[in-house]
Amino acid sequence: MEKEEERARREFTSEAEELLESFAVDLAELDEKRGTVSPAIINDIFRAIHSLKGLAGMLGFTGLATLTHQLEDLLDRLRLGKVQVSSELLALLLDCHAELIRMVSAASSGAETGERREILERIERAAAGDPTGKKADLLAGLDLDAQTRKSLTEYEEYRLQENVRIGRSIFSLTVQYDFLDFDEKLRALTARLNAEGEVISTLPTAAGAGIGFRLLVGALLSGKELVALSPEAQVRLLQSAPEPRSPDGEEGLASIRSLSQNVRVDISRLDNVMDVVGELILEKARLDELIAVSGSSLDRRTARELGRISGDLERRLNQLRRAIVDLRMVPISQLYTRVGRAARKAAEELGKEIELLTAGGETELDKVMIEELADPLMHVVRNAIDHGIETSEKRVAAGKPVKGEVRIRAYQQGSFVIIDISDDGEGIDVESVRRSAVRSNLIGQDEVVDFERARELIFSPGLSTSEAVSEVSGRGVGLDVVRKNIHELKGSIEVLSDRGSGTTIRLTLPITLAILHALLVRVGNETFALPLTSISEVVKIQEKEITTVEGREILALRDAEIPLLRLSDAYGVEASSQNGRKFVAVVRLGDRLAGLVLDEVVRQQEVVIRAVGNRIRGIPGIAGATEIGKNQIALVVDVASLVSGLAEARTARRESRTAVSRR
Amino acid sequence: MKILVVEDSPSMRAFLTNLIEQEAMVDLEIFEAESGFEALKLLPHHAFSAILTDINMPDINGLELVSFLKNHGVYRTVPIMVISTEKSEEDRRRAMELGAEDYLVKPFQERDLLEKLRKLLGVTT
Repeated sequence: MEKEEERARREFTSEAEELLESFAVDLAELDEKRGTVSPAIINDIFRAIHSLKGLAGMLGFTGLATLTHQLEDLLDRLRLGKVQVSSELLALLLDCHAELIRMVSAASSGAETGERREILERIERAAAGDPTGKKADLLAGLDLDAQTRKSLTEYEEYRLQENVRIGRSIFSLTVQYDFLDFDEKLRALTARLNAEGEVISTLPTAAGAGIGFRLLVGALLSGKELVALSPEAQVRLLQSAPEPRSPDGEEGLASIRSLSQNVRVDISRLDNVMDVVGELILEKARLDELIAVSGSSLDRRTARELGRISGDLERRLNQLRRAIVDLRMVPISQLYTRVGRAARKAAEELGKEIELLTAGGETELDKVMIEELADPLMHVVRNAIDHGIETSEKRVAAGKPVKGEVRIRAYQQGSFVIIDISDDGEGIDVESVRRSAVRSNLIGQDEVVDFERARELIFSPGLSTSEAVSEVSGRGVGLDVVRKNIHELKGSIEVLSDRGSGTTIRLTLPITLAILHALLVRVGNETFALPLTSISEVVKIQEKEITTVEGREILALRDAEIPLLRLSDAYGVEASSQNGRKFVAVVRLGDRLAGLVLDEVVRQQEVVIRAVGNRIRGIPGIAGATEIGKNQIALVVDVASLVSGLAEARTARRESRTAVSRR
Repeated sequence: MKILVVEDSPSMRAFLTNLIEQEAMVDLEIFEAESGFEALKLLPHHAFSAILTDINMPDINGLELVSFLKNHGVYRTVPIMVISTEKSEEDRRRAMELGAEDYLVKPFQERDLLEKLRKLLGVTT
């Protein structure tokens, strides 16, 4: 049942977002056209809010239901002509839109927020204004049978009255269609009629084997013109326009063409397209292989031509790939709103005053990434408020402003997006981390913890630095889970703080997970794909240049000593190199450098990552697999987790060394 | 027994069908239509034991659908329940006048929906 509710909530959010988007588009048109707006637009807005209200009510989002209820009421009066469009009303509707977005995203995360009194009062005032009394029944003179009249909704009845009032002729059209394609045909007819006038109602009627419809149409057309427009229909004039065609009678019946240039697409459809591009890239790789193999047997001109075509193809494929990746991009500001709400709530619960400052909201990330990032990011922010920011008393005592500050800054760096979450708290309290770690049996009673070690410990499962486990950061769900989530996104998480001056958590994430520019390398008989973006350089070395310091292999490169990791060790592959020649791919993650030792560099290639089978899933440091040519598979190295694994290996090795010396 | 749910909002439709499916008192087969047109297309192919329809919909609205069904030689006997919000009192009244068997006001209690549906289907508990 829980799952069912969750699913219902997800469906609700997606539909609500769509409704609000169409609301926004319609509002823009309303703003642009003011008095001359098509009644269909206002009816659309009404319907969107009406649907939203129904959903909110069913799912028990009372705040949202209250607001949409009031708003629906106002919009109903608007479409029935009881309230007029004004600048004030537009401003109110825009505010309502913003408020609804806030509430829907709150509802989607399960944290319902209440409606704002102030906005409800404004709606009430707007709805009360201009109470034009009930109009005279203009339909008395209309030759309309009772059945048809009864089938009109209140709104349709009003539209009929309006059409009569502005002096349009009212026609009744009867059409008969086949059951097979009546919807297409009727839609086409309706579109034609709406371009010239207004289809007020569509009543289906039984008609032998097929189906009939009776349409009520208001238009400033003669009967002849209408017949020309709808040759398949039997046309009857119910009431003719009092006088022929007056230009000002054309009260705001704007074109029904949609003004929106947006298309909503299910992300899985984009995935499908991306899959095809992935296949194309593979085909291209096969082609290149073939060209390489048959190079010598071709005449020079053919070889050159093939090379040129291959180059062109590659460029086009890259364009296509970039375009698709681009379609998936959404600004990170979408997350900021959600996080802001969570932050305020957390601060409230903890009795702390905080200010959340965000920057770089325009930075774009893959939509899937944004969704997956929401929870970890919220957790890091909550964590900053809970553990980073001190209590008000402490802050005052330390001469800091009472209000704690949490900053989120996002920016792009190459094909990565970096998100820094900083607080102006007192930084990591090494002693407190040590105590918690001892308490959680993570380390021994007497183990010495330095700042570096503390930075690692805070990512350990089951560690909470607060003396009491707080509600806010959750029980037992700590930064270890965040780290796991971030690693699953092929990203990394680091603590950048210095002692005593606040903490910065840095998340580094690839912009998209869909495709990868890779360096193919060989270790023994295996080929691995290294994401090119994480490699800062590749150096050729001799085996003997590798030195061992404190049991760790390092390479002296210019001024730096780079810790090394042999891919052969990491993945248990037999290394093989000629004359002690090796390559080191220097990778950088944040401010950290590490070297991956490999046997040979094969080539650069674009690869499409595929999920790996059960057999190798869960091996740390493997992001997936990719086909790199006919029947050739390369494992894609997950550099972020491999290198963070290096830090863990370092401590592990230190421990094992102690064990050895004890023996 | 086959029943037809006509509702343009996908999540409301899913909500309705899930609810009915979960609590189905008899062997029910639920069909969904996202518009009046779609409902019309389904009608000749199935003998529905009941129809639940929203009122406010594009294409043809719930009232027009009721009007059509209740004037149709074959479909006039199919019991219909209209579903609308508490605001559309006038529309609801018209639906009943056109011959709808029952109505349900959104938001409704699960219990009410099931009870009314049972009554509509003539199933006793």
